[in-house]
Amino acid sequence: MTNHLEISHLWFRHQAASDYILKDISLTIGRGEVIALVGLSGCGKSTLCYCIAGIIPRIYPGELKGEILLEGKPITEMTLPQVACRLGFVFQNPDNQLFSPTVEDEIAFGPENLCLPQPEIEKRVVESLSMVGMLQHRYKNPHHLSGGQKQLIALAAVLALNPEILIFDEALSQLDSRGKAMIQQQIRDLKSKGKTIIMIEHDLNNIVLADRVLHLKQGALIAYSGSF
Amino acid sequence: MIPSLRLDPRAKLVIVICISTLAVFLEKLSFMLALLVATLLVAWLFQLHSSRSIGRIKKVLSVIIFIAMLQSLFTNAGTPLLSIGHITIISTYGLQRGVGVLLRISIIVLSAALLTTSSSRDIVQGLIQWKMPYELAFMVSIGIRFLPLLAEEIQDTFVALQLRGVELKKIPMKRKIKTYSYLLMPMVSSVLIKGRELSMAMELRAFRAYPERSSLRTLKMKHMDYAFILLSLSLTSAVFYIYMHY
Ligand SMILES: Nc1ncnc2c1ncn2[C@@H]1O[C@H](COP(=O)(O)OP(=O)(O)OP(=O)(O)O)[C@@H](O)[C@H]1O
Ligand SMILES: [Mg+2]
Repeated sequence: MTNHLEISHLWFRHQAASDYILKDISLTIGRGEVIALVGLSGCGKSTLCYCIAGIIPRIYPGELKGEILLEGKPITEMTLPQVACRLGFVFQNPDNQLFSPTVEDEIAFGPENLCLPQPEIEKRVVESLSMVGMLQHRYKNPHHLSGGQKQLIALAAVLALNPEILIFDEALSQLDSRGKAMIQQQIRDLKSKGKTIIMIEHDLNNIVLADRVLHLKQGALIAYSGSF
Repeated sequence: MIPSLRLDPRAKLVIVICISTLAVFLEKLSFMLALLVATLLVAWLFQLHSSRSIGRIKKVLSVIIFIAMLQSLFTNAGTPLLSIGHITIISTYGLQRGVGVLLRISIIVLSAALLTTSSSRDIVQGLIQWKMPYELAFMVSIGIRFLPLLAEEIQDTFVALQLRGVELKKIPMKRKIKTYSYLLMPMVSSVLIKGRELSMAMELRAFRAYPERSSLRTLKMKHMDYAFILLSLSLTSAVFYIYMHY
């Protein structure tokens, strides 16, 4: 079985920064694994995930060394829309990733880009909204929802693309306990379907879901010792 | 009462273009007044809530008074209505120009508000079905959607400044300009960050994956839409004809 994701000797330095934020990171993640990534604020967790998704160096300039293979293919050889068919990314800030006038349009955006036929788009909208328990908000304006609800919509919008790898950048941070429980159940379901999940987490309660916990400290991945 | 008219966004677009073209080209006050009445009628027909538009028009009112004064100051046309010594503050000509600009802006703002009665996604869809490249249609629509957010951000910055005890109205002009320039940097950078995160989110949801894209909803023009397009085009040409030969 090939590894789903392979990172070898990754170094990265932001254009404006003097020192490398990621220093010689190597990591392999198998299909269906759930990984939790922990570390202090500003230690570079988001940055690492941006590298994995190919956002770095395309959108954030800087110095990047090393190689990242997504399903055996170098990420540098794919365009972002190509990456999007395999990898879904739920960003830290829900405000800047919702841009449609209604929740329904927001979810349909991805499948429309994939040129899926109309009935399939409709099916995916209903399915993904049900998965996050937001179907009753289908015709609302996403900007009028609460922070936690926006995160759920952002998650549903990514699920509608049906990616094999999911990255959650603190995607549960603004949810209430009911929302968290629902998403934890979703993560278990996605795992049982063989999806690979990387979640950046501050909440120790969510870390129990993970097969492996990685601790990012001073630019390197170290063994997680129960606190950070 | 007539039920609220539900037109295809493209039909609305044609109406708005017709009205604003007329508003730009018509110079005579009588024609513009008639156009304003017609626009109000159309707004009423679409059950537009014009309170927001009126708020916007109010905001530009001070600018218009300023324009009227400038016109009076720098042209000798018309009879002076208000003057200090030899300097004319307001003349009939300036007043006329000012009223003209006010009418023009009111008509354009009111007619553009017609588009708010359609979902922005539908307008984008209309443009795409009219063969506009979808990237362009989305960019324009998202740009317009984020303008109010930008305005909010600027307002927040000013409130934050006032909370820190800075009273912009009281400080001298030179310091004021300096303060504004300090504000500009964070505002520009926050716009850039917003834009970058937005394009990131869009591309990672496969935007631009293919030269074409499908759509959850498809628009279909009905007889009513064609009728309105034909009506507004012919009315506009008729008005132009009368205007030229009158
Ligand atoms: N565009 C940039 N240019 C320069 N430095 C940057 C840029 N973006 C981020 N940084 C710096 O890189 C560091 C890592 O940021 P990153 O967002 O990856 O941290 P994080 O671990 O995700 O933190 P958090 O838990 O707060 O989300 C920060 O110290 C930040 O200041
Ligand atoms: Mg982060």
